[in-house]
Amino acid sequence: MTSVPVALALIAALALSGCKIVKTVAEGEGNTAVAAGEAGDDARIAALLDKTYDAELLPLIAEKALPVADLRAAIVGDLEAAGAAHGNKGSGEGAAWNFAVKGEGVVVEANLTSRARKAMLDTDGDGKADLTLQLGPVIKGSSLRDVAPFYRFGDFRDQIEFAKLARALNDRATAALVVPKGELVGKTVSFTGTVDLKAATDAWQVTVVTLTVTP
Amino acid sequence: MILNRRQLVGGLAVAVAGILPTLSFAQGKGTIAIITPSHDNPFFKAEADGAAAKAVELGYEVMVLVHDDDANKQNELFDSAIAAGVKAIILDNAGADASVAAVQKAKDAGIPSFLIDREITATGVAVSQIVSNNYQGAQLGAEEFVKLMGEAGEYAELIGKESDTNAGIRSKGYHDVIDQYPDLKMVASQTANWSQTEAYSVMESMLQANPGIKGVISGNDTMAMGAWAALEAAGRTDVIVVGFDGSNDVRDSILKGGIKATVLQPAYAQAQMAVEQADTFIAGGATGVEEKQLMDCVLINADNASKLETFALSA
Repeated sequence: MTSVPVALALIAALALSGCKIVKTVAEGEGNTAVAAGEAGDDARIAALLDKTYDAELLPLIAEKALPVADLRAAIVGDLEAAGAAHGNKGSGEGAAWNFAVKGEGVVVEANLTSRARKAMLDTDGDGKADLTLQLGPVIKGSSLRDVAPFYRFGDFRDQIEFAKLARALNDRATAALVVPKGELVGKTVSFTGTVDLKAATDAWQVTVVTLTVTP
Repeated sequence: MILNRRQLVGGLAVAVAGILPTLSFAQGKGTIAIITPSHDNPFFKAEADGAAAKAVELGYEVMVLVHDDDANKQNELFDSAIAAGVKAIILDNAGADASVAAVQKAKDAGIPSFLIDREITATGVAVSQIVSNNYQGAQLGAEEFVKLMGEAGEYAELIGKESDTNAGIRSKGYHDVIDQYPDLKMVASQTANWSQTEAYSVMESMLQANPGIKGVISGNDTMAMGAWAALEAAGRTDVIVVGFDGSNDVRDSILKGGIKATVLQPAYAQAQMAVEQADTFIAGGATGVEEKQLMDCVLINADNASKLETFALSA
């Protein structure tokens, strides 16, 4: 199963190096039927990510990302209106609004020893943390999936397959993150990511897709 | 109970045919059948109550039946409901595969079904399938469990009834989160079939075999209550227990510092939503929403337990 992404990665690497490559899957691979039902989930999700993560999801987040202050201003009046204008609602009743967001701030507090690493940022200069960056490897929530209107629950077999997509997206994002070793507190960090909000007053937990630390 | 109109209790399915004439001549918009597992579990009672209250509010008669998780019995109840000429069936089903035929039979008879709580394995047969996002809920519960455990230690898992898809979904959701923490070690995992008494004895033997257990994650609240009783009896109230459902029993335990957390499934609201969609469908032939719909679950711990009442959280 790992050979498909490897093959694609090779193709991608070759393509970057300038060779003209006709994009075909390695012989035999393309004919391998993906098992129906749960047994084929991992293969299907991997294929979906290969098709959509770099090509659709990251561009969507980059394009839609609002600066922290702008998003805060938009939701403070009316989360529903802000969501309709800038975000995407997760599937189902009671689901959160999901937004792409970008910003910069000073790390006030960090926990890099947990499996769910976190950095609390002050983005408005008042010396207090006002949002949390989730740095993985364990990521809470499904905002990377739910920010994208093209990942729809109805297109999946059931909630398990849909949940696997969220997990795979989280894993893909954190695998690409480079979190510097050593003390983060006091450093300035800029980021792009996604945040899910059920209420305007919810604390922000941002799932990070790009992270730059200023020394 | 808000019900003041006719409510038939489960087990009287055979009698339904007998009172058919009364139902047929009932004033109003006809009858909605509400079929769920046994009301012994307050979760299913809340569902039935929520659906019945909404149906009555919208001008329907209700026929409340229970299948006791027996697909054959459910099949008979469908026959009765079809014979009674109900306008719609609200169903928490008795098996993801086994229920497809019954729902299809109702559809063939021109009676739409609206499913709550549990999915079936076919689409296009029921009009709506509204289910709690059990996976998302399990992840919430597991995240809280991991936090309470300090990301390390030995734990046990109590799993629900195998025939119920939600047992597997919750277990997978738990492990999706917990297995990302290598210092959390599962030392025992066993089904207690959603049962409080079974969970009590399972917990007893788990404790004997694994005295180092620091936490128990349970697939539902009734099993969590059974496990907690066994832990109390063994003087092990230091063990962290997390459940699932959001029952009043576990709420009370949380408020007394016993069980640490659970995950609320909005059962009452979900059942009401199903009836609203049935009403829209009966009136216009469509619900205007997709067949498969998810409802998010909510983490309940000491911070918000006091706002929980009968599977609904007040603002």
